[in-house]
Amino acid sequence: MTKKIAPRQIYLLLACIAPVGKLVFLPAHLARYAQNDLLFPALVQYLVQAGAVFLVLLLAKRGMSFYEMLENTFGKIAAKILICIFGLFLLYCSFLPLLEQQLFVQSEFYDTLPSLVAFGPFFIFSVYLCSKPLSSFGRTWDILAPLAAAGFVGILLLSVGSADFGALAPAGAAGGSGFLQATAGATSWFFDAAILMTLLGKFEYRKGMAWKGTLCYLAGGAAVLFFLATFYGIFGPLAFNQLFGFSKTSKYFAGITVLGRIDYIFIYGLALVMAFYVALPLQGGIDCAVQAIGEKKYLRTFLSIGANAVLFALLIVLEYRMKDVLSVISGTLFWIFPIFFLLVPALSLLLRRRRREV
Amino acid sequence: MKTVTGDLKKNLDALKKLLPADDILTFEFTSDKGLKFAAVFADPITDKELLGEQVVRALKYFDGKPTAEAVGKHITSPEMKREKALDKLAAEVLAGNPVLLWEGMDEGIVVGTKKVFTRAISEPSTDVAVKGPREGFIEDVKTNTSLIRRRLKTGELKIEMIEVGRRSKTFVALCYLDGTAVKETVEEVKQKIQEIDIDIVPDSSYLTHFLASRPYSLVKQVGTTEKPDIFCAKLAEGRVGLIVDGSPIALTVPYLLVEDFQSSEDYFVPPYRATFTRLLRLFALIVAIYLPAFYIAGQLFKLQLFPVKLLLTIAGSIRDIPFSPSLEMLLVLLVLEVLNEASIRMPKYVGMALSVVGALVLGETAVSAGFVSTPAIIIIAFSGIGLYAVPNLIEQTSVVRLAMLLVAGSVGTYGIILLTAFILLYLVTTENFGAPLLSPFSPIVGKDLRDSVLKYNLGSLDTRPKTLKSPNRRRLK
Repeated sequence: MTKKIAPRQIYLLLACIAPVGKLVFLPAHLARYAQNDLLFPALVQYLVQAGAVFLVLLLAKRGMSFYEMLENTFGKIAAKILICIFGLFLLYCSFLPLLEQQLFVQSEFYDTLPSLVAFGPFFIFSVYLCSKPLSSFGRTWDILAPLAAAGFVGILLLSVGSADFGALAPAGAAGGSGFLQATAGATSWFFDAAILMTLLGKFEYRKGMAWKGTLCYLAGGAAVLFFLATFYGIFGPLAFNQLFGFSKTSKYFAGITVLGRIDYIFIYGLALVMAFYVALPLQGGIDCAVQAIGEKKYLRTFLSIGANAVLFALLIVLEYRMKDVLSVISGTLFWIFPIFFLLVPALSLLLRRRRREV
Repeated sequence: MKTVTGDLKKNLDALKKLLPADDILTFEFTSDKGLKFAAVFADPITDKELLGEQVVRALKYFDGKPTAEAVGKHITSPEMKREKALDKLAAEVLAGNPVLLWEGMDEGIVVGTKKVFTRAISEPSTDVAVKGPREGFIEDVKTNTSLIRRRLKTGELKIEMIEVGRRSKTFVALCYLDGTAVKETVEEVKQKIQEIDIDIVPDSSYLTHFLASRPYSLVKQVGTTEKPDIFCAKLAEGRVGLIVDGSPIALTVPYLLVEDFQSSEDYFVPPYRATFTRLLRLFALIVAIYLPAFYIAGQLFKLQLFPVKLLLTIAGSIRDIPFSPSLEMLLVLLVLEVLNEASIRMPKYVGMALSVVGALVLGETAVSAGFVSTPAIIIIAFSGIGLYAVPNLIEQTSVVRLAMLLVAGSVGTYGIILLTAFILLYLVTTENFGAPLLSPFSPIVGKDLRDSVLKYNLGSLDTRPKTLKSPNRRRLK
């Protein structure tokens, strides 16, 4: 199935599926550095990312894939090298969500800490998912988007009653350095424009798509900001310690003592969406490699097995060094992200517009 | 290829060689003017009374020239054709149509006096409706096509007969509405059917394998129905239908998963009621698949899934059970499947006794003996009932339920979520005859949602489903 992705499916990805990746570690991270000002770094990140999304959607007007654009301007060999670098960045991007998901699963799906093998089946699913071409995923987003929206709304409805939004005042309490640290660190969770780059050429541009896509992304962002406010409203100064944000806020709902953890219905729904979202940069990376090598039978499957095996091995090695990994990705190396999600789309606007004559 | 010659004896010998069976009989008779005739027929499937009436008696007084035209004019059967090839004549005899040969003529006449054994048209047991038509298909293709013709009195209804099966030579009626069905789909179905090179076709389910884009898949890819009203409604939506001689189950393509959540009755009750029952079916199916799995996963890996009071009840009831929760559940499920299988196959008068023994005695005794817990039996019973809310998907859903149970017992809730993701991805990427299996939900087709799990008022269903790409979109003017 190699049909093109519909614009609607891109909007759903941006509005409903992309926000899911910002609900696990990010709230606690923002609260650690920005405290009650956690909305501001998130807002800045969303505005910057929305700008990048707008640029990528403008690039979509050309009807070419990112690789074709590179090839048109720099020739085949340079394009292969550049797309491989971009693919490596996407694989790098995939590690943090993967780590988040692994820790989230171990913490929220089991009463006692299971061995890492319990998370192993994810890689079987991921191999299957990544062995399919990126263009075949629009239909999954059609199903996942309502699920994500329902899960998100469900959790918010159960949580919002327990939140004290007064905890967010007074604004500016964290100071400039806290804000900057929180903003810089949060960059590692924002690479949606880079994912969108890999989808170029796989969807058709429609009039006004750049604006609509950006607005959809911002709408998803607004929902995340509301969640962050609720999150801080519930946990207050202790919010920095509450990893796995979205699975924590709803457990204070009054009805839970009678009905049991009904919020798990929504948490599991979001976890299902997350399983797809986590694999998205990985799929993008594999797709870049396939474009560089050229489509061959079983190539995608082999690459998918290889990439997943490497990531699984890395998870095993770094299982007990989560804090160090986090500090390296979101601290020391945070600057890598804007290069790829902002600079690359901006520079790509300068690439040749027309296909090279053969 | 051997053909009929003017020598009657030689022709009869040749046919006997082709058809050496004992039930192939020859009736020789002579007209008043001395012309020798012979009718070759298959004894059990030929209507001899009709043969005598329409052929033998009619030719008794034959006094014209012994040409095929002249003989044909005397025969009073409305169905007859001329044929020269001996193998084709032999095939007609085997199909129940007698072959008439006579001295001095180099061709034979096939007379349509086949004897058809059919049961009466009755309500199908798999698709019972409280409101609406109760007729069901039977095993005879001609009766079935007549049931369709009676409902669709239009020249646009095309019924093409295709013969399938090297030995069974089964008639398959390809039905569609010209101008409403997609031509490419009609051609594709026709080609797929014609390409089937199989020994016999005992039932329509044999054809589903050849029509599916993923033949080894667990997922159903061809629609089935036993009711002519549903069949006609599907044709009117732009689908292509297949009726196989000898089978009461008709096939339709393209198939959408949502079809099995709909029943004919939904169209005869108010739309809000239909929507409610469709949602109920979906809910029942989800509960049937997931409830046993989550119960196991909750017990083994995440006790927080249960409210405290329920947890205490469960803890009390499983305290003395010698098996692990997953093994206990698997055993109960296995017993249910065995009971189910046995109650379908065994004679009806034993069925009641089996229900009593199985459900009451076995269940009650197993609980009091401490083999299984009460919650396990309740959950499996509820799951078993829920599965039958969507009877057309039982084969698939029971396997999925078992897989969920195994995964829940080994990996817990995360395993259930991953298996769901895997199934979802598989379903989303499955399409047959150009229609995505999960349409109108994936891809979302706004207007088609009006008759999906939801059911809008008939006035709102003014167009045919967009997914089926019918060239004639409007159905309500």
